[in-house]
Amino acid sequence: MQSILKRTMFYILFIGIWEGLFRLGIWPEYVLPSPVSVFKTLVHGFQNHTFLIGIAISMKRIAIGYGISIVVGIFLGLLIGRVRLFEETLGSFFTGLQTLPTICWLPLSLLWFGLNDRSIIFLVFMGAVLSITIATDAGVKSVPSLYIRAAKTMGAKGWKLYLEVIIPAALPHIITGMKQGWSFAWRSLMAGELLIVCLGLGHLMMIGRELNDMSQVIAVMIVIIIIGILVDRLFFVKVEQRIRERWGLVKG
Amino acid sequence: MTESVGTENFVDIDQVKVGKELQASQRVNGVWPKLRVQHVSKSFQSKDRNFYVLEDINLEIQQGEFVCIVGPSGCGKTTLLNIVAGLEKADSGDVWADDHKINGAGTDRVVIFQEAALFPWLNVVKNVEFGLKLKGFNGKERRNIAIEYLKMVHLSKFQHAQVHELSGGMKQRVAIARALAMNPEMLLMDEPFSALDAQTRWILHYELQNIWLKTRKTILFVTHNIREAVCLADRIIILSTAPGKIKKEFLVELPRPRDDNDVNVAGYSTRIMKELKAEINKVMKCEMDADSCVECDIKCTTEGPAKTDIGGGI
Repeated sequence: MQSILKRTMFYILFIGIWEGLFRLGIWPEYVLPSPVSVFKTLVHGFQNHTFLIGIAISMKRIAIGYGISIVVGIFLGLLIGRVRLFEETLGSFFTGLQTLPTICWLPLSLLWFGLNDRSIIFLVFMGAVLSITIATDAGVKSVPSLYIRAAKTMGAKGWKLYLEVIIPAALPHIITGMKQGWSFAWRSLMAGELLIVCLGLGHLMMIGRELNDMSQVIAVMIVIIIIGILVDRLFFVKVEQRIRERWGLVKG
Repeated sequence: MTESVGTENFVDIDQVKVGKELQASQRVNGVWPKLRVQHVSKSFQSKDRNFYVLEDINLEIQQGEFVCIVGPSGCGKTTLLNIVAGLEKADSGDVWADDHKINGAGTDRVVIFQEAALFPWLNVVKNVEFGLKLKGFNGKERRNIAIEYLKMVHLSKFQHAQVHELSGGMKQRVAIARALAMNPEMLLMDEPFSALDAQTRWILHYELQNIWLKTRKTILFVTHNIREAVCLADRIIILSTAPGKIKKEFLVELPRPRDDNDVNVAGYSTRIMKELKAEINKVMKCEMDADSCVECDIKCTTEGPAKTDIGGGI
C-alpha cells in the first residue's frame, strides 16, 4: 500500500509541475501542451477511433514480424546450438550482426521491399530475430546432457527429441530472448513507422508533428508506453514467473 | 521389512560360486539369454596413449536375473552400462539383447541414472507418461499406466506435484516408475542410489527388491557399494580396474527381501571386499603416486583406509 501511495503522489506531483510550467507560459503550446489537452487528445483519439486504428495496424505489423522472428529465431538457435558446423559459421556471424542497430537495416529494407508494410515488418523481424536466435542457442547449450540421454533411452529420436526435450528444457532461455526480442521489435516498429508514411502509431506521431500538435505527439507516446508495459506485465512477467515456479527457482 | 535371516537359513559363505562354470549351468537350452556382452572393449584416447577402460568383457544375463556390477571408481562399469544401453559405442565386440544386436538406445533397455533426470517442465505424472507418449499411447491409457506405476512406488498422491517439490529419494522412485511404465525388457541402473542418504537408500533397497519380486524384470545394476550389491543382486560381477576386466563373479543366495544390516549380507560383503581390496589399492596407488607423496604411499601400503571401509561400501 505504501508504495502505491508513493507512486500516486509522484504522478500527481509530476502532472502538477507540468501544469504549473504550462501556466507560466514560458513556452508556446506547440512546445509544451498542458496535461489537460494531452488527456483530451487521448480521449478524442480513442473516441474517433484514429488511435484504435493506429494501434490495430501497428499490432498487426508487430504480430507478423515478431511471429516470424520467433519461428526463425528458434529454428536458427537450435541449428547453431546443436550442429557444430553452424555454430562455427552462423554463430559468430550472428553475434557480429547483433551489434548493428536495427534501424540500419532501413535503407536495405526500403530498397528490397519499397515504402510499404513489408518493409516495416522486415525491420521488426530483424529487430527480434537475433536476440531470439542467440538466446535459444544459449538455452540449447545449457540443456543437461542427462536429460537428452534419459530421453533417448525412453525412445526420443529426431524431431521428437527437439520437441519434447530440447525446446522445453531451453524454454527459460528462449523466453528471456523473446522478451528482449519483443522490446527490440517494438523499437524497430516505431522507428520504421516514423520514417515511412503508413498509418500506425508512429505515423500518428508524425502527423502530430506536421500539424504542430504536440498534445497528439505526447498522447501517442503515452499509448506506446502503455502498450509496452501491458505486453511486458501481462505476458512476459507472467510466463517467466510460471516457469520459475515450475522449475523450482522460486518458492511459492 | 523382514527380520534378519535366522541361523537355519544361513547360507555358508563357502557356497559362493565363482566364474563361468556357474553361468553355463544357468543357461536354459534353446532360449537366448536376455543380454549377451561379447568381447566388448573400449578405450579412450589420452594425450600420448590409448587408455583401456574395458577389455574383452564377456557377460550373459538371463531373463529375470538381478545382476550387480561392482568395481572401484574408474573401472569402466558405467561405460559398460552405457554401452549396453546404446548410449556409447564399443570399440569392438557386440552386445545382444535377446536375439538382436544392440545398435543405439532402445526402449527395451531403459536406464535409471544416478540423478533422477526427471524433466522439470513436467509434473510427476507427466514425467512418468513421457516414454508412453513417445510410444504413442493415448492420453487416457498413458495416465492409467502412469498412475499404476506411481502406486507401485507409493507416490500416487504426489502425481500432480512439481519435480522440485520432491525429495531426492522420491525423485528416484519417480524415475523408477517412469522406467517401469515403459515395460522394458531390462532395467539398467547406474548407481541410482549413490547420491542419497543412508536411510533413504535403505528404504529404496527394500522397495526395489519388492518391485523386482513383483515384476521379475531383468536388472543390470552398477554400483561401487558392495553392501548394496549384496543386498540387491542374484549375482555380483567384480570388475578390475585399468583395464576393466571381469575379475570374479559371486552368486548371492539369501532370501528376499534382504536388509542392508543383515548379518549374512555383511558376511558376503566382507568376502567380496577382500576381492575388491586389491583393486582399490591399485586405484589408490595409481592416483596418489602421481603426486609422489610419501604420506600417501604409506597409506596405500598399509591398506589403512580400505580396511575401515569393509562392509560399508567403498
